[in-house]
Amino acid sequence: MDERQVGGLNFQIDFSQPLYEQILDQFRSSIAKGEIDLGEKIPSVRELAQVLKINPNTVMRAYQELERDGLTEKRRGQGTFVTTSQEKVRQFRHQLAQEYIDAFIQHMENLGYTWADIEAYMKNKR
Amino acid sequence: MSTVIQCRDVIKTYDDKKALNGLTLDIPEQSIVGVLGPNGCGKSTFFRSLVGLVQPDSGVLEILNQKPNWRNNADIAYLPDRARWYPNHTVRRAFDWAESFLPHFIREQAEKLADFMELDLDLKARGMSKGQEARLMLILCMARDVPVVILDEPFSGIDVLSREQIIEGIIDYLHEREQTILISTHEIHEIEGLFDFTVLMDKGKAIWTGRTEALRAEYGSMHQVFRSLYKRGLEL
Repeated sequence: MDERQVGGLNFQIDFSQPLYEQILDQFRSSIAKGEIDLGEKIPSVRELAQVLKINPNTVMRAYQELERDGLTEKRRGQGTFVTTSQEKVRQFRHQLAQEYIDAFIQHMENLGYTWADIEAYMKNKR
Repeated sequence: MSTVIQCRDVIKTYDDKKALNGLTLDIPEQSIVGVLGPNGCGKSTFFRSLVGLVQPDSGVLEILNQKPNWRNNADIAYLPDRARWYPNHTVRRAFDWAESFLPHFIREQAEKLADFMELDLDLKARGMSKGQEARLMLILCMARDVPVVILDEPFSGIDVLSREQIIEGIIDYLHEREQTILISTHEIHEIEGLFDFTVLMDKGKAIWTGRTEALRAEYGSMHQVFRSLYKRGLEL
């Protein structure tokens, strides 16, 4: 696992996992957690590729996906910025929460727990 | 996506040793291709056969939709293994030479790369470290506006700093060009993040060919793959 810093952001790159997903996930979670502010500029494709020592095409694909998600926007000649829309980030956080819950429930069901069991566990936790 | 290199059952024998033993592969265009494998697996023979320096005994081999031939070589920048330059040439003089003799050589690009990789234009090849000479050789290839670049062990015997400068130079340059670049190397860890596509070779054959991200998802890092696939004496 390599850890590198670029423009105030920490990146962990693990060469035993697909790189595209790692970049995408790290940006998504940084934006969702508010580690990158609304409207903040993110590193250029070239800059990030240089620091992480990876193919610029891989970075570019991840950036395109972020843009499709509505989490970032390109400004002509200026670079790529995090969206200024609080609403979009809120929606994305909501989507992430759903995904985490689904994954959690899936795990529990795979172990053979029922809804009642899951509820009991949750109550105990609190 | 179309292919830039196609091999079907390519065989090349030296005396009784099979350097290529039924090599079959397709390489998609505009990708950065890592050609990996232990010493003697046939990487250099494969590269030499792409520029017509080696004639296969049998099989079909095409690059840029043609059998390798000297005319085709104008569109291929090839860096041989252990390449050296004229000892009495400075970097500037090497660029003059390249401008006259290397098809599609772009001086401006070469000077930009030299600046980026910190190679002094007044330095003579005679006085260069291995790393500096390797950077010069690499620049002479990379500054050519051609569809295919072939780099045979561009990092062998080079210090870490030069390796990093070369990798940074490649990344910087990748951003501006659309080319297919083949790189064979042992220094996998530092460069594996660059490969879009990977060819694993062993005993004259391609034993795995595909998207690097697929290889990662299935087997882990190239470094790990290399270690587990090739358990014979390797220089790692």
